[in-house]
Order: sequence, then C-alpha cells, then structure tokens
Amino acid sequence: MKKISKHTFRSNTLPAMTTVGPVSLWLLFFVAIPLLYVLVMSFCSLDESYNVVFKFTAENYARLMDPNYIQIYTTSILVAFFTTVLCIIIGYPFSFLIARTKWKHKALLYMMVIIPFWTNSLIRIYGWRTFLGTGGWLNHMLLMLHITSEPVEFLFNKGTTVLGMVYCLFPFMVLPLYTAIEKLDSTLLEASSDLGAKGSVTFRKIILPLTMSGVFSGSIMVFIPCLGYFFVSDILGGGNSDVIGNLIERQFQSGNNWPLGAALSIILILITLLLVKIYQKLGGDMDSLGV
Amino acid sequence: MKKFIAILLASVMTAGILGCGDSGANPTKEQPYAGTTLNLYTWTEYIPDSVIEDFEKETGVKVNHSTFSSNEDMLAKIKSEDEGTFDIAQPSDYMVEQMATQGMLEEIDKSKLTNLSNIADNYLNPSYDPDNKYSIPYLGGVEAMAVNTSKITDSVTKYDDLFNPSYANQVVLLDDFRAVIGLTARSLGYSMSTSEEPELDEIKTKLLTLKSNVKLYDSDSPKSALIQGETSIGAMWAAEVALAMEENPDIDVVFPEEGAYLFMDNWVIPKGAKNIDAAMEFINYILDSENMAKILEEFPYMCPNTAAIALMGDEYAANLAKNPPEDVIANGEYIKNLDIDTLKVYDQMWTELKK
Repeated sequence: MKKISKHTFRSNTLPAMTTVGPVSLWLLFFVAIPLLYVLVMSFCSLDESYNVVFKFTAENYARLMDPNYIQIYTTSILVAFFTTVLCIIIGYPFSFLIARTKWKHKALLYMMVIIPFWTNSLIRIYGWRTFLGTGGWLNHMLLMLHITSEPVEFLFNKGTTVLGMVYCLFPFMVLPLYTAIEKLDSTLLEASSDLGAKGSVTFRKIILPLTMSGVFSGSIMVFIPCLGYFFVSDILGGGNSDVIGNLIERQFQSGNNWPLGAALSIILILITLLLVKIYQKLGGDMDSLGV
Repeated sequence: MKKFIAILLASVMTAGILGCGDSGANPTKEQPYAGTTLNLYTWTEYIPDSVIEDFEKETGVKVNHSTFSSNEDMLAKIKSEDEGTFDIAQPSDYMVEQMATQGMLEEIDKSKLTNLSNIADNYLNPSYDPDNKYSIPYLGGVEAMAVNTSKITDSVTKYDDLFNPSYANQVVLLDDFRAVIGLTARSLGYSMSTSEEPELDEIKTKLLTLKSNVKLYDSDSPKSALIQGETSIGAMWAAEVALAMEENPDIDVVFPEEGAYLFMDNWVIPKGAKNIDAAMEFINYILDSENMAKILEEFPYMCPNTAAIALMGDEYAANLAKNPPEDVIANGEYIKNLDIDTLKVYDQMWTELKK
C-alpha cells in the first residue's frame, strides 16, 4: 500500500494566520483604523489654538446643513451626473469598437486609453488649460482658420470642469464597459438577426441588457471620484465652482478645522455607500467594481 | 568560533567607517561648529541649494534640509516631532506670534548677529514680534495689484477699484481667503483681521459683489491668466507681478492706497533646538549681503536686506514690483491669527463667495 502523507495541522490558527493574516492586517491598519479615526475625528472639537480635542460634539454635522454647503453638494452632484452621462455617451461606442473590432491590433486601441494614465493627472489637466486658454492652441487654430475673429474664452466655468472630469475619469468607464461587451456572446446576436430583429431592436433587447452591468459599474466608478476631484474644479473651473472635494480640502488646509473636514468626508463616504447599495439593488456585480 | 570572529571583524570595520565619517570635521578656530549637524526647516522653493552648500563648505556644519508648504503644516510637524528635531524653522508673521505665545520659540541673542544692520529699520520691530525677540526677517511680499493698461484705461489706485462693476469677469485673485477677504476689509478701511461683527457684515456684503468680477482664483500662477489676456486686472504677490511685467510690458504694478497686505517669513529657533550656535551662525550667514544677493537672484521676493539690494544693481532696485517702495511697508498690514469663532465667519463668507 502506498504511503500517503497525512500531515494535518492540529488547529486552523497557523495556516489561517499565515495566509489571510497579512491581508487582514493590511486592511486593519490602512483601511479600518484610518476610517475609524476619521469617524472619531468628526465628533471632536477644537480648542482655542486649533488643536483637535476629544470632546464630543455634533456641531460639525449640524454645520453640514449650511445652505451654502447644500448648494455645493448640488453643484457637485450635477457635475458628477453630467460627467457620467458624457462618459457613457462617448465611452459606450468606443468600448464597443475596441471590444468587437476584427483588427488584429486590438490591444493597441486598448493601450491608447491606458497609456495617458501613466502621466500624472495634474499635469494632464494643466495641459488642457494651456490648450484651451485664450492664447492656447485651440484659439490659435480657430483664429488661423478664420472661424472666429476674437479668441474664445473656453476656460474657467462649469463646462470646462465637466470636460476635465470626463477626461480624467474616461478610462474608468471604458474598462468595465469593455469587459462587459467582450463577454457578450456573438451567437446571441446572430440568433437575434435570424429571428428577424433589426439592429436597433437587437441593441435594445439583447446588447444593452447584457452589457448594463458594465454601464452600472462604469457609472459608479466615474460618479464617485467626480465628487472629490477638487483639483479639476480648481484648475479648469477657476475656483469658481467648488465641489465637495474642495470643501474637504479647505477644512484641512486654510479652514484649519479637521473635525469639520472629517464630517464632510464621512458624508462623502455615506454618499458612496448609498450609491453602491443602489447599484447592488439594481443587480450590479460587486466583482466588476474591482472590490 | 568562526562566526564570532566574523561578527567581531564586521563590527570593527563598521566602527572604522563611522570613525572615518567623523574625522576631518573637527572644530577649529575658523570653523567652531564643524562636524555638527543643523536641522533646517524651510518653505519649499525658497532658498537655493547652492547657498546651503556654500554654508556647509565655509563652516563645516552639515545641513539637513527639510521643507513644508504651509505654516499650518509646519506647526503640526514641529508639535508632533520630539523637541529639538529642528534647529531653525521659517514661519510667516502671524505664525511667529502664534508660536511665541505658545512658548514654542527660543529667544534670539541678537548680539551674535553681526550682519543684522543690513536689515532696514522698516522691517525691524514688527507688530507680530516686537523688538524681534524671537524672529529675524528673511523674505516677504506684498499683495499688489496688476493692471493690463492696454485693456484698462481708468486710473487704478486702490483695492477698491477691483470692485468696479465694469470689470465683470476680468479679475484674477489669489485662491486664498485671507488675501481676498483682507483686501475687501482694507478697501473699507478695516483691519484684515477684524473680528468686529458690524464690520464683518459690511465686509461680507461687499465681498459677495466680487463674485461677478472674478474670473479666476489661482494661487499657483495668477500671472499666467494676466499674461495670456484672460484677465485684465488682479491682485497677487508683487513677485508674480514682476514676472508678468517681464512677459507683457502692458502690465503695470499698483500698490493700493488703502495699505497693502504684507507677509514676512522669518528665521526662528524652535524651543529645545540642539544646535543653537550653528543656527545663529546660519542666520548670520544669510543676513550677509552677498549671500542674500545670491538668494535674490533666484527668488526675487521683497527683501528687507537693503545691503543685498544695493548689490543687485540699479535696475533691480528701481523695479517696484521686486523692491516695493518704503511707504508700502509702512502703510501695509500683516495678518493676525484669527480666533476660532471669527475664522468660522471668514470661512463661511469665503464658501459663499466660491460656491
């Protein structure tokens, strides 16, 4: 009879500790504890010399209801909404193209979305500022082609903020869409056309429902960072249209009120959780969010 | 036994290396602090590396240089580190006052600063640190106005002109609530750090009228929008105006009649510093006119060191944006730290302006 090694651990502790342990520790120290710290901080108060002291107060949360803040939340949500819609409108056909192309250099198209991401987003946003400025390339070309007689002022409004957000977050829309469209079984499309469905019907009844998960996860991944990307509204919006991220940044910098900043961050986290919950309710797959 | 010998050898060798590091840097009469380490904590982009290297060569002191990008960051860092971590820090005016009242600074023995006479009287004995008990001025600035004279033909003389309704969407301001609220306060004749309620109400009402005028808030490079022609008037640090004037000759510098917002960064010695002697040597070294002139070549901020300005030549001295006139300093105002409740009011009006 062949001898089989029958080594077993006396308890599960050691194998569990060595395999899951490092990840759990990582999550504990770099996710759970910092988040808890933010939560605790949001209930703290400040003393006379702006030190955070552990004296319980709900005042930070009360201040969140300031009408000015509410208007900024609304602006943020609108900016995020338009950014997401634009990303879907541009991203869907684009992802469809790279997912279904017969061209052998498909990977190249895919890389074209990824490569710009290797450059710091601040630099790319400043690039837009140079490009769109009244002395920038775009105006230079418009003047040269006699399309306009005076330089057009593109910069420093909510429109350019949305443009910058779309540019920054576009890949987050394309990648989940690409995965969803790639998975689409082409025999279903053939069956649909065999049964006499026109292109638009196939799209509405087959393609869209089957790739909806990609649209959902892409939207979540665009919408949420959009609320926090304060540097885009600072650089391209000219600091005239704050988003929630600006409010948070200000409390940690010039406002010098960390507890209020923490409370604002908690609100941002709650909005995020709420959106993810809605996403789950709509049948979204948590795996495709990359979490 | 073999292992033991190996360890012994290794430790002897390490000791040898460490020993070498120490030798060759012993104090001498010319270099009394040679071999010591000076921990220097300054703003980013504020002192050329070459000047620090020259100091090291001349004195044999090794400089550990770290940087910060806001007064509040610096304060938090000094508080969180052990006492004695830094030998020199570089707070701005109001922060000197705050640190001094919190007992965080060593008094400065001015008798050791043989070059202190290079500093103009205007800059000594400032409101934030009477008699320079804790601080020695380094470089500073003034919030001046920049006007593109090819687009704006009115005579612009004061902060109040920025509120002129005919400049709708043409103004660039610093993305800094103290600077913007401050200039509004000055335009009404109030202090930039007022905490009086009726004054604050008035300031808020006037501040909100800026909304339609301001095209852009930018602290990083406010000059760009002026040079490119996106804005035609603005308020920013005079050093930025100086650079804008070099790029576009239509741009002019104006110092506000109401008295400008001034800032001054200073050398201080944090409480418990371990190497006060070398710190004093460093401060005195920077006060030297030639060394300061080297700094000015790279960072042309408002300089209290008149001997250094004399070395920079007539053109530099005559450039008002680089070398603001004396009465600007006399009429100007340094900001003060706000108490918590007042800061809340400032923060709220700023949020309302920027929403």
